[in-house]
Amino acid sequence: MGTMAEAAPQTPARPRRSYGSLTGLLVVPASLWYLVLLVVPLLIVVVMSFGEKSRLGGYQPAFTLDNYIDALDPQRVSPFITSLAMAVSGTILCLLAALPIAYFIATRGGRRKSLLILLLIVPFWTSFLIRTYAWLTILGPDGLGGFIGTLIGDSSFRILGTPFAVLLGIVYAYLPLMVFPIYVTMERMDRTLIEASKDLGASRWGTFRQVTLPITATGLITGSILVFIPLMGEYVVPAILGYGRVFLIGNQLVLQFLESRNWPEGSARAVVLIAIMLVTVIFYVWFVNRGRRTREVSVL
Amino acid sequence: MADQELERYVRQMRWRLERTPISRRGFMWASAMSATAAFLAACSGGGGTTSAAPSAAASSAPSAAASPSGSAVAEQSFTVPPDIEKELFMYNWGDYVDPNNMKQFQEVFGVEKFTYDTFANNDEMMAKFQGGAVGQWDICCPTMNYVPAMRDQNFIEKIDPSKIPNLKYINKAFKGQWWDPTDEWSVPKDWGTTGISVRTKDVKEEVKTWRQFLDLVPQYSGKVVFVDSPDDVFIAPLKANGYSLNSDVKAELDKAREELMKVAPHILALDSDQYNTKIETEEAVLGLTWTGGILELRDKPETADVVYNIPEDGTVFWLDTWVLLAEAPHPIAAHAWINFIHEPQQQALETETNQYATPNDAAKEYIDPKMLADPAIFVSDEVLAKLEPQKDNSGIQQRADIWEEFKSKIGQG
Repeated sequence: MGTMAEAAPQTPARPRRSYGSLTGLLVVPASLWYLVLLVVPLLIVVVMSFGEKSRLGGYQPAFTLDNYIDALDPQRVSPFITSLAMAVSGTILCLLAALPIAYFIATRGGRRKSLLILLLIVPFWTSFLIRTYAWLTILGPDGLGGFIGTLIGDSSFRILGTPFAVLLGIVYAYLPLMVFPIYVTMERMDRTLIEASKDLGASRWGTFRQVTLPITATGLITGSILVFIPLMGEYVVPAILGYGRVFLIGNQLVLQFLESRNWPEGSARAVVLIAIMLVTVIFYVWFVNRGRRTREVSVL
Repeated sequence: MADQELERYVRQMRWRLERTPISRRGFMWASAMSATAAFLAACSGGGGTTSAAPSAAASSAPSAAASPSGSAVAEQSFTVPPDIEKELFMYNWGDYVDPNNMKQFQEVFGVEKFTYDTFANNDEMMAKFQGGAVGQWDICCPTMNYVPAMRDQNFIEKIDPSKIPNLKYINKAFKGQWWDPTDEWSVPKDWGTTGISVRTKDVKEEVKTWRQFLDLVPQYSGKVVFVDSPDDVFIAPLKANGYSLNSDVKAELDKAREELMKVAPHILALDSDQYNTKIETEEAVLGLTWTGGILELRDKPETADVVYNIPEDGTVFWLDTWVLLAEAPHPIAAHAWINFIHEPQQQALETETNQYATPNDAAKEYIDPKMLADPAIFVSDEVLAKLEPQKDNSGIQQRADIWEEFKSKIGQG
């Protein structure tokens, strides 16, 4: 306190300084949160990934690269590839489904805007697990799967346990995460730009492509990343709707941590997964922003 | 799931009622039935935790005589430890304790809060404790081959036999076994087998051995369900080739791997929870399953063709056990529970609900004779001789690797 009081007369910027220390104080809880719940666990995972499985399962300290060699073994990388394929196609499908929805609500919603947004949120009031189990009944042998089977006269036809069922479940679960960011950017867009574009003779498609789409790019990127990242770790939908026939990296992690109880091997795979996600997301942001002057990297 | 459970329970109650001559007890059962239905509906919330608060009627000064809804209790006398805690935390397999027994225990022993958390398989349970969940629950139900590992890692404590007089009913065949030579660490709960479920309506071939089963899988491609449990799945390829199901011999496991990879593309699902539903709806017509949820299908007209075979080339004998967890917050209530559940009448109800064989000799007097005579539950001595006890194979890396590869190849031809 003494030093601060002494320094005060000499530095006119004193209010600014106390403002800075207040900010510092305010970010302490958040920093602690990130340190304890993100940085520390991440470090533990990295440390474990170089360890060995103890006799009774779990972790025992060691330094070996075996877990990484094993994780990148060409014979055993198929879950990574399946996950990547599922996450990319899931994100694209979400994008294709969300764009028209967000566009419609933002531009044609009118007075029903709030209601329409509410309707998008309503499913979140029910547990994700229950909603996924509901699809079991809808697509099952007594539901749509059996119905289509009878229609085409193939009794062995089924929807459950196929990649299609998994994709459907994924798009259903993650769609709102895509709709909201896109909706927000479209809603905030200056509508006079569209009029200007029309005045200058652009077609509707031209206006959408040259005006609406670039302006909403932030929303598209945010939405895609919000969907893509959890999708890479997804394991519930493939386990329930995919009957375990679609085996993703998330399922492999569950297997290694809970069943084989080989924490070091699971940790190595988790680190590889994080690396894959980082590379993919950075590439994606670079790809979308290439040739632009202002970079929309705020989402990261 | 909840509805199915409820339906099953009510059916059992009704069957009990029909069997019992019209007596006071029979009447009580009928009234208990509706109470149980309401209780079940109230507590069948799905998810992991079922926390059942007792009714307001539960007496706070517990004694059997003071119990307001006596039913069968009136005939029995329970010794309630004077210093018993008011809570009990159980960590168990899903739907593995008769809800009526839970309710009665709460009423008689004045346990106000009974928490029932679930795990899907032994390894998940072990992973929880290895992750530091010690002291969170009082009792648990590992399969016997996990007892030594739990003891060695200090996850469990010794049980005080003086607090469990009903241990006298346990058949001596279950005592002094390799997993607990001194009988201090575990109390047998129930036991069973892993075998083959067949819809004989769809599968005309004979499936009496693991060999026949494995050979038939490709023929019924996409219509075969396996339980999601490595110990059980390994039985088929190992036994079909005449090896021990606990084999750790490299050549034998290589052979097992070859067999498993051959069937993997034809499997509909690995499923420990809903395998019975898949057999019921004919989504699957062949299954490597436990008996739970399968045997009662035989009693329904539309699924009367379901058959459960204990393979002639031998299969596993598993025994689930009650253990007292280390640092249990409520050890007295935990001992009281283990003793309570081995009261012959309570144990009989357990057997009828779970449809697994009981190690409790005195309980057999109260079990439906039809069930006692069912070779799928209480197996004949000749079959029993071919059963092999499960050992703890979770440390064998080759098995873990094969299992992982198998799991990633399901349905991928």
